[in-house]
Amino acid sequence: MSGGIARGRLAEERKTWRKNHPHGFVAKPETLPDGTVNLMIWHCSIPGKAGTDWDGGYYPLTMHFSEDYPSKPPKCKFPQGFFHPNVYPSGTVCLSILNEDSGWRPAITVKQILVGVQDLLDQPNPSDPAQTEGYHMFIQDPVEYKKRVRQQAKQYPPLV
Amino acid sequence: MADSTEEFEPLFDYSRVQPYSVISLDDDSTDESSVFCAKKRKIAHGDDEKKEKDVNGKDIEVINCDSKVDDEEDWLPPAPKNSRNTDKILDEDSTLKALRLKKQELASLAHSAEEVLRAVEESVRKDLSASLQSSLENAAEQPQNPLPKRAKVVISIQDKDELKQFRVYTDDKFERLFKMYADKAKLDVKQLVFCFDGDKISPAESPGSLGMEDDDIIEVHVKSN
Repeated sequence: MSGGIARGRLAEERKTWRKNHPHGFVAKPETLPDGTVNLMIWHCSIPGKAGTDWDGGYYPLTMHFSEDYPSKPPKCKFPQGFFHPNVYPSGTVCLSILNEDSGWRPAITVKQILVGVQDLLDQPNPSDPAQTEGYHMFIQDPVEYKKRVRQQAKQYPPLV
Repeated sequence: MADSTEEFEPLFDYSRVQPYSVISLDDDSTDESSVFCAKKRKIAHGDDEKKEKDVNGKDIEVINCDSKVDDEEDWLPPAPKNSRNTDKILDEDSTLKALRLKKQELASLAHSAEEVLRAVEESVRKDLSASLQSSLENAAEQPQNPLPKRAKVVISIQDKDELKQFRVYTDDKFERLFKMYADKAKLDVKQLVFCFDGDKISPAESPGSLGMEDDDIIEVHVKSN
């Protein structure tokens, strides 16, 4: 039953996204090799904000929705080892609005999540670190941190 | 079909006009305004009945005549009351005579009105069946028309600042749309990259081949060479 609710909402999210989304963002449900669409996993791309060290990069993010969505938030993952103070070594994003016990509300849309994660890229939250390397560098060596972020942006060039 | 019956409304309007004009001609001889009012009501009533039956289709006259006889009995009595109120000076005999004359007059008037109504009904029915036939013919013709029509789709092209909408044929190659956009944006089409869902669009493809729907967004990026 709840699976029906999740899929219904995701179909609606997808429909809305196709007609209106911020420039440079991509969000589409996974297409299986046999051509069928899996609404429970979305492949997204978040552009680094213009004028920041993240600019020029298009960061791939995968959203994993559970059958309990939208009661529970999707799990959002960058590639493993993604450099950011608030991203776990597994790539999972640590963000208040994606935390079931904190800021998640069922009304939050896919677009709001993606824009929220884009904001997080340039505005890390030092009070909630998720990886040692990114966190330490951000606190102790801002110059090196900046260099590392710019380097990473080049690793994720636009797909086209 | 429903549309075609709706289109007959003007015909009814026309029919309503006819009985009125006939009655007013006959009514010139009668001075009783109260009787005239009653007459008017009856005709309006008969009109409504006719309408009902036209919608339903058949068996018009039988019910119509019956209801008319009832109507006559209904609307006649009030007239003497009114005349008695207004013409108290006249003695009863003369009023009764006048009333009897009036009754005959009105009876013949009602008959003529009925005939007019019947004639109108018949003509309406003829028109109805004729136009029903023609609408049937139209319905038979219609399915052939949409076939040659090419489906169109509204596509939004979004750059960093704004969104422009274009209406193109679903099976038209993107080449044309891209050129149209480049002209509008005053940019060289070679400097532009168009993407749908993060994938670059080949100019040889079409909205249909990508399964695009109305208001789907194509993103345009300017190459940074």
